[in-house]
Amino acid sequence: MSSLSVSRLMMLTVLALALGLGVSMLVGSGTVLSLLTQATIYAVFALGVGLLLRQNGMVSFGHALYFGSAGYIVAIALQTHAMAAEWAILVAVLGLTLFGFVIGLVIVRVPGVAFGMLTLAVGQMAYLTASRSRGLTGGADGMSVEWPNTLFGVSSNLLFKPASLMLISWTVLVLLLLGLALGLRGRFGAITEAARDNEERARFIGIQTLVPRAAVYALSAGVTAVAGVLAALNTGFVSPEALHWSLSGVALMMVVVGGTRVLWGPALGAAIYFLAKDVLGDHAQHWMAIFGTALIVVIVFAPEGLSGLLNRLLGLKPSGGAGHAGSASAHH
Amino acid sequence: MTYVLQTDDVAIHYGGVKALDGVSITLEKGQIRGLIGPNGAGKSTVIDAITGRRPLTRGRVTLGGEDVSALGVVQRRQRGLSRSFQRTSVFGQMPVRKQVELASYKMGTADPGADADDVLRELSLDTLGDAIAADLGYGEQRRLDLAIALVGSPTVLLLDEPMAGLSVKESLDLAQHLKALALRRHVSVLLVEHDMDVVFGISDVVTVFELGRVIAQGLPAEVRADPRVREAYLGSAA
Amino acid sequence: MLIHIFNGLVYGALLIVMCSGLALIYGLRRVVNFAHGSLYMLGAYLGYSVALQSNFWVALLVAPAIMAALGVALDRWGFRLLQDRDPLSVVLVTFGLLLVIEDMVQTVWGKSNLSVPAPAALQFSVDLLGTPVPAYRIGVIAVGAAVALGLTMWLRLSRAGLFVRAASTDPVTTAMQGVNTDALSAFVVGLGTALAGLAGVVAAPFLSLSPSMSADVIIDSFVVVVVGGLGSLAGAFIAAMVLGLVQALGAVWMPDTSVMLPFLLMVGILLFKPAGLAGSRT
Repeated sequence: MSSLSVSRLMMLTVLALALGLGVSMLVGSGTVLSLLTQATIYAVFALGVGLLLRQNGMVSFGHALYFGSAGYIVAIALQTHAMAAEWAILVAVLGLTLFGFVIGLVIVRVPGVAFGMLTLAVGQMAYLTASRSRGLTGGADGMSVEWPNTLFGVSSNLLFKPASLMLISWTVLVLLLLGLALGLRGRFGAITEAARDNEERARFIGIQTLVPRAAVYALSAGVTAVAGVLAALNTGFVSPEALHWSLSGVALMMVVVGGTRVLWGPALGAAIYFLAKDVLGDHAQHWMAIFGTALIVVIVFAPEGLSGLLNRLLGLKPSGGAGHAGSASAHH
Repeated sequence: MTYVLQTDDVAIHYGGVKALDGVSITLEKGQIRGLIGPNGAGKSTVIDAITGRRPLTRGRVTLGGEDVSALGVVQRRQRGLSRSFQRTSVFGQMPVRKQVELASYKMGTADPGADADDVLRELSLDTLGDAIAADLGYGEQRRLDLAIALVGSPTVLLLDEPMAGLSVKESLDLAQHLKALALRRHVSVLLVEHDMDVVFGISDVVTVFELGRVIAQGLPAEVRADPRVREAYLGSAA
Repeated sequence: MLIHIFNGLVYGALLIVMCSGLALIYGLRRVVNFAHGSLYMLGAYLGYSVALQSNFWVALLVAPAIMAALGVALDRWGFRLLQDRDPLSVVLVTFGLLLVIEDMVQTVWGKSNLSVPAPAALQFSVDLLGTPVPAYRIGVIAVGAAVALGLTMWLRLSRAGLFVRAASTDPVTTAMQGVNTDALSAFVVGLGTALAGLAGVVAAPFLSLSPSMSADVIIDSFVVVVVGGLGSLAGAFIAAMVLGLVQALGAVWMPDTSVMLPFLLMVGILLFKPAGLAGSRT
């Protein structure tokens, strides 16, 4: 996407936003809208996980930590009347981004698969904490998110309509994609890509690799937190399942199947996941086997993911993404 | 005089191995010093020592009069020290021009784009600007490795067997390009190389290594004639 | 108090059987097998079905054998095809395998808990220093000890063991020496998955069968293997027993914190000494 000019990007963004508006107004079925909302929220989640893989070449099995925590922070803030909902959302996203940066400074130094296992452990610790803290988090039963009557000036009657939720989620996704596309095309993007491809050489050309890589981790945490907030808006509920490593795994699956060659790859993966689930109908109860197989097939035969395949078919140029899971460490 | 680069009695010992044992060499401004020696003599280790890639057991490294022994790789780079790698080390998934331009930018060049284009042109890589590094051929990747080291007009350039794997013609070609670039950009060069013709062809002075120590230094002709050198390295073939 | 220590030893023994498989696979193939817990679960369920048709002892032989065959196939068409790709790709493939196995188990055997009775021959109690303990559990400890001893001796004394140790340290040179590394890794991976299956069958009578079996045990097995030093069997044996005891005793005295302990240990090790886990062979 960085091969596209800024003006083209803006045009695509406007088109995408218009599309979202159109769909939200024209589609009557609440079920369909709800499905689209869910898919979009997962697309944001996958975008976060995919960002870490694309820019840092790192695979996290624990990003559900940020997804669930965002929901819990908002829920707890609202239940304890600690602050207004608008602030709670801001605190959740920015707070988790900052937290991600701090722990990122420590954990991005951990190489290869060790990083994956570390994120798995940290994520599960969060899951266990939430499951067992009945007093604070409602324990295994979860807790409801007590949204107020107006949020950012919009009444809850309007806000929680399926069409509104879909529009909000879609708009957030599109704006995040735009933001990332613009933000990563400059020096920061180049620096993190260099650190990803060859950390030693990056240092030899004068790049202090720790801070940029931690920043990417923080950004991926923040994006995932946004997805968590959207989910809390959508369902009005948060439970420990939102922190479980299997959820991180699903997001990772979407990222790999969608591909990380282009920024929108993970979003494509999420779309395919939901489309397939819908189309599969009865067979959908076997989604784990189907997606597990899809994951294996993609890694073996199409490591650039489906977005990579699409790119090739359409003759588009790649934009400096990691290409596929772990191509970064292929040089070591 | 203040040398652009100086090592004083540098040693690197580990696990009973003396990879470097008291190496003192100097580099004057604008000079090209060749470093030769048999395999395992410690040539690449000297570069590791100078760049800070490996810690010193003993000794000191000075850049333009400043003692940089305690500084890390990044900081030494920021002081104008640059190196290329024997085992090609490039940014695999990035386009050629983008990575060279990034390297130039990190050196603080006023116009990184123009600087990158100049170096790429000199090394015949300008037509491959948009190509992804991993898609390049071996020789092209080696030149890219060099381009990344050369860009940004470093004060001191350490080249670690730049001709490795190249044909005779390619090696001589590259040597001429390197010399021209070094002269044009006022870069002082320490060239570690196996290829004798290249080293004696473009070096102003030569240092000979054996078993982690310097056994001879001087003008190419002097070194060539030195009996110790002939015995250690050149044998009867010289 | 004694019973808790005893139970800790039992769980530790189980972890020894299971984690030695994980360590072997990593040692030879440099793959962290995310599907290992699922293989353990599959072994347990297969054992259940076989035991229904015949008896526990047959299951003890048949289930690991089936898992061994599966392991050979996994090595041949999974690990070997991907061996030039980087470790993360292979790990993701094992993750995909985990999902497939989970689904398969739920489809074939359903979601509710199943129980497997201990074999009749071992359904009695033994008096251990005043506390009655089920004989079966002593059997589990015996299996753990046998596996530990057997593997150690095999590695040290047999030709194949020598090749495995060589290939784990330097696969390229070992292949150059004429050792058929493909056959060797098929054997080792098969052994590794068989051990996971064996652990499953052995676990079934005292831990009931459920689709969450794999998730319950996978984290612990990662902890064991990380703390013990990936690829090191001896380390895995010790770490397994320690973890088993810590969990058993901790569950009694500090129930809330003890759950976190394995994770904290793993996090600590990964942060400060990820050596052997770095994914690079040199």
